[in-house]
Amino acid sequence: MRIVVCVKQVLDPELPAEEFVVDRAARRPAVANPRWVMSTFDEIALEVALQMREAVGEASVVALTLGGPSADEVLRKALAMGAQEALRIDAAPLGEPDGVQTAAALAAAVRAHLWPVDVVVCGRQAADTDAGQVGPLLAEMLGFPVVTNVLRARPGAPGTLRLERETEEGTEVVEAQLPVLLTVTNAECNVPRMPRVRDIMAAQRKTVPTVGVGDLPPEAMSPWTTLADLELPQTEGRCQMIEGETVEAKVEALLAELERLKVV
Amino acid sequence: MRVLAVVLSSPSDSGWAEVVGAGRAAAQAAGGVLEVAVLGPEEDVTQEVAREAWRGGAERIWLAADPVLHDLSGDRYVAALTEVARTVQPTVLLLRADALGAELGPRVAWRLQAASIPDVVGVRRDPEGALLWIRPMYGGKALAAVRSHRPVTVVTVRPRAFSAQPVRSGDPSPEGIQTVSLEEAVRTVSRVRGLEHRKQEAAGPRLEEARVVVGGGRGIGGEEGFRVLEDLARLLGGAVGASRAAVDAGWVPGHLQIGQTGKKIAPELYLAVGISGASQHLAGVSGARHIVAINTDPEAPIFKAAEVGVVGDWKEIVPRLVERLRERKRADPQDL
Amino acid sequence: MPPETLREATREVFWNIPPAGVGVMYLLTAVAAGVFGYGIYREYRWWRRGKPIRRLRPVWPRLRLVGRHVLGHARLLADRLPGLYHFAFFWGFLALFLGTVVVFIHHDLRIPIMRGLFYLYFQSATLDLMGLVAVVGVGAALIYRHVGGPPRLRRGVWSDTFLLLLFEAILLTGFVVEGLRIAATEDPWGRWSPVGFIVAQAFREAGLTAGSMRWLHAILWWLHFVLATAFVAYLPHSKLFHLLLAPLNVYLQPLERAGSPRPLPLEEAQTLGVRKLEDFTWKDLLDLDVCTECGRCTAVCPASATGKPLSPMHLILDLRQEMRRGKPEEPLAGRVVREEALWACTTCMACMEACPVFIEHVPKILDLRRYLVMEEARIPGGMREALRSLEAREHPWAGTRWSRRDWYRGLPVRELREAGHAEAVDVVYWAGCAVLDERSQRVARALVRILNHAGLRVGVLGPEERCTGDPARRMGDEFLFRTLATANLDTFARYGVRQVVTSCPHCYNVLKNEYRDLGGDLQVQHHTELLFSLLRQGRLNGPVREAGEDRVRVTYHDPCYLARHNGVVDPPREILAGLPGLKLAEMPRRGRNTFCCGAGGGRAWVEERGAERVALHRAREAVGTGAEALAVGCPFCLQMLEDAVKSVARGRPVRVLDVAELVAEFLPEPERVGSEPEAE
Repeated sequence: MRIVVCVKQVLDPELPAEEFVVDRAARRPAVANPRWVMSTFDEIALEVALQMREAVGEASVVALTLGGPSADEVLRKALAMGAQEALRIDAAPLGEPDGVQTAAALAAAVRAHLWPVDVVVCGRQAADTDAGQVGPLLAEMLGFPVVTNVLRARPGAPGTLRLERETEEGTEVVEAQLPVLLTVTNAECNVPRMPRVRDIMAAQRKTVPTVGVGDLPPEAMSPWTTLADLELPQTEGRCQMIEGETVEAKVEALLAELERLKVV
Repeated sequence: MRVLAVVLSSPSDSGWAEVVGAGRAAAQAAGGVLEVAVLGPEEDVTQEVAREAWRGGAERIWLAADPVLHDLSGDRYVAALTEVARTVQPTVLLLRADALGAELGPRVAWRLQAASIPDVVGVRRDPEGALLWIRPMYGGKALAAVRSHRPVTVVTVRPRAFSAQPVRSGDPSPEGIQTVSLEEAVRTVSRVRGLEHRKQEAAGPRLEEARVVVGGGRGIGGEEGFRVLEDLARLLGGAVGASRAAVDAGWVPGHLQIGQTGKKIAPELYLAVGISGASQHLAGVSGARHIVAINTDPEAPIFKAAEVGVVGDWKEIVPRLVERLRERKRADPQDL
Repeated sequence: MPPETLREATREVFWNIPPAGVGVMYLLTAVAAGVFGYGIYREYRWWRRGKPIRRLRPVWPRLRLVGRHVLGHARLLADRLPGLYHFAFFWGFLALFLGTVVVFIHHDLRIPIMRGLFYLYFQSATLDLMGLVAVVGVGAALIYRHVGGPPRLRRGVWSDTFLLLLFEAILLTGFVVEGLRIAATEDPWGRWSPVGFIVAQAFREAGLTAGSMRWLHAILWWLHFVLATAFVAYLPHSKLFHLLLAPLNVYLQPLERAGSPRPLPLEEAQTLGVRKLEDFTWKDLLDLDVCTECGRCTAVCPASATGKPLSPMHLILDLRQEMRRGKPEEPLAGRVVREEALWACTTCMACMEACPVFIEHVPKILDLRRYLVMEEARIPGGMREALRSLEAREHPWAGTRWSRRDWYRGLPVRELREAGHAEAVDVVYWAGCAVLDERSQRVARALVRILNHAGLRVGVLGPEERCTGDPARRMGDEFLFRTLATANLDTFARYGVRQVVTSCPHCYNVLKNEYRDLGGDLQVQHHTELLFSLLRQGRLNGPVREAGEDRVRVTYHDPCYLARHNGVVDPPREILAGLPGLKLAEMPRRGRNTFCCGAGGGRAWVEERGAERVALHRAREAVGTGAEALAVGCPFCLQMLEDAVKSVARGRPVRVLDVAELVAEFLPEPERVGSEPEAE
């Protein structure tokens, strides 16, 4: 069984809000000391894939990314965690690809270099864009069914996977036909494993294969959406203290604030 | 240009306000017309929802009902939506960004070869008259304005980001309603089959996923105090968490602890009650969109992290708040 | 007595024992020697399997330590009464042993030394007195174990009782045999052996005939011999082994960096850390045999004191049992030693400080952790998160909203990036990751205020600082430690940093002692050391408060990594003593004897389960001094104790603050200490 996990290198999402600064003209973040990590849900996707591999026995996990040379780091992390292979698609020709371009590049690479594939696993959303589009788009491009918010994947009846997924009220179990694309979300059962140092050291010695973007449909060569503006939300930074002589008055004022914040 | 707000009236949820509200805003901004499509398994339900949507300002209603939509499979709904879109031919198609919508949006977009823009919270127009969709990025740290470069755009709308107060009353005229038959959807065989549903035991959402979290700290004083917080959380559709002080004191079980060595949460609203605001605790809520704090000490560090603060005794404020929320809920169940 | 006669004083060796008996005696001695030798050899074979480590040199300092601790019982006397009675029977035993050697030289080597004044003063009088001292000592030990002694002595009380009774029996039978000989032979020198003489008198008065005395003597002589021989044969098979191994272990002790983990060449090591017994160094394996089961380590361990599953003594004994009887190829962690026990350790080193035979508990725990983390990736969740954060953003405080620059915004410090070289400033202040916590930012700011006041230009690395790697190293991730340390050393080299001052004892320890292994060569000062020297030089302008008025009681908590790991005990106290209006009230456990706050060893990132939080334990001790303020010298201690004191003080306000903050309050310009950083 061949499992492809799509991973992305992103700006560390745990950057303190105060350090997060934006270059408005260039419409991108301009963080003074940027740190780059694997997107949170992609780590979980790897974990889900690795658990699946352990359950199936005869399976291999391939980590795939679209990115520049620094993205090799996340591929090495994937290898250290237990992936058998890694592949980077060089993003240079695409500049700053949007969701459709990313999915198209991934689909082309899967077809050209990794076919046949049984399962593709993606994180629910990238920790920078928070968009969650590449998974479903990629599924459509490959012609696979997609199951979102998966927590755990195990082999089911022959030719299917048995998937536990999160729903708004709890969880459900579904059966999906192979080949299938999964997007995963976090749960207690899929906390990403810590790689062994031995494996980290071994991964550091490996060279990561790189391929070009390949044959993309002409529409995909330019982005379908672009950023017209990127700004920091207006947070005053000062706490607005509720005034009120009586408890009732304070509560009324508080309620009004909660309404303004659209939580009530 | 035609803006189509699509409402899925599946049995589990029938939130329509945000898509209709967003549709109105977009139509207004772009000088277009708003139409609403209602898809669902049951005809009478879709008709009821359609009436509400019309009152919310739709010019035309499209109904697509078929029992086959009881099965909430993505394959089927994508087929149905594509059919509707091909019939209606909108410029902008809006969906609610819930779990299903998040899947459908990009898939339908690809089938229509449309641009896909997820999780928007606002819309405006740029100087050239193009629509700019506002959405949060980078974990809520930034707001992006996104522009589509395709003739058709599929947009998913964050729940509660828009509201749609009724602009008219009464019912739509028969000419204003059209039916779409879902042949494609009916023909589609889903490649995913549901086997079991497991609704969770505890009332209310899990701490890590709750939209609203009410956190209690040392100021709560005891186990009983947390009962009151639970009432509040329930009314806000949220969950209860705690600071380490409360857990150490044994007032709440350990899995409710939020902080450096507890859970990290990222709710829309974190309401910190009787919590001093030590940074180890705040480390667990750095992802919260809005923090509101209630504390007797005006110098408490929590107020530096909070957006809104109330200096006062929670024992007086929270029960009163609960009371008021209950009153409001009785008056308008939809609102909560 | 005429001097010539005195010169003839002696006794007949083997009096009353026929030659055949003597022959049997030698035979049995040989057998016992064989059992004894085998016992040592069997363990020696195990020690040999351990990894190499250099401990034999330098010779003189080590011998001096042997003198201090073995002959002088320096550590044993820390627990006064047991120390004294052990001192008694140790010297008694040593003397009597020497006496036996004298007999051997005299009788078997045929060098007639056992006669004359030497015989009288040493072999008779001194040995009798020392024997008596031993009898009293062993008696006290026996009683104390059963009545009045601390709980640690109750454990294994019956096997200890057996050994003590054996020892006492040997001593007492020895006296009786001597007495019988003196009485039966009417030894003219009998008076020179006071105890024996009294015993002889007793037998004479009891009316025994010479014949029955000889008969009794023979029996008891054999009994004494059998007991003594059994003692020797049994020695390496019981905790008596410490008679030989303890002095050896004292000699082989680590002379520096006692708490540090063993060197680990990551690329060459076959196993990262200790998986099975022979992955330990030979010294670690020797340690296992030295343990006397005294329980002093467990008695001072903060984890044990608060109900965690860790007992340092049991750790050693479990490993020892595995060595003697277990499966040598199987992994230790999780099987022989519980994982929770390994993670419960705060690496405070109280166990090692208390151990009279200098067993090194902490490096073993660290080595076992290394295996768990680096080979198996098994580590408690909170620590794992800290490691992840270290890997991703080079600090362990996941979720913090602060950056490394926030604390010095608006303060007159220079970033070395801008200053260009360390020479451009007077002091390079290593702020550490503590400044990612708001409370500790106030300490850093207070310190800078003081240094500025003293006319020193302060330089910082700011965003170019990264964690020293200490948490990673203590948690067992040597790889991450090395990555961070190497990067830091590059930064130091780039700016020519040779000296730093830090307010965190963990940073202090690692920068000072452990970066050397990677080529670092730094002079490191703790901020209290610097402040003390400034105070002494009079560079901090005079105090504001008048001496004599409002004597605020302050108590000082010694951070483990400052006091115990590095011996820095006096500077903070001298500082506090130098501030007028303060009265220092010491806690019972102070200085090198300090009690941990619970944060070390990576524990700051773990939720404590178990009977009680370590910090509460210490907070109670602090509050119990009646002090109104608790001064600390470590950001971890500050965090742990401030929180704990609030729970314990029950309404009475006890301020918890760093020594630097206290000093800053005495500076002439009364700016508000701890002003908040400007929001940008």
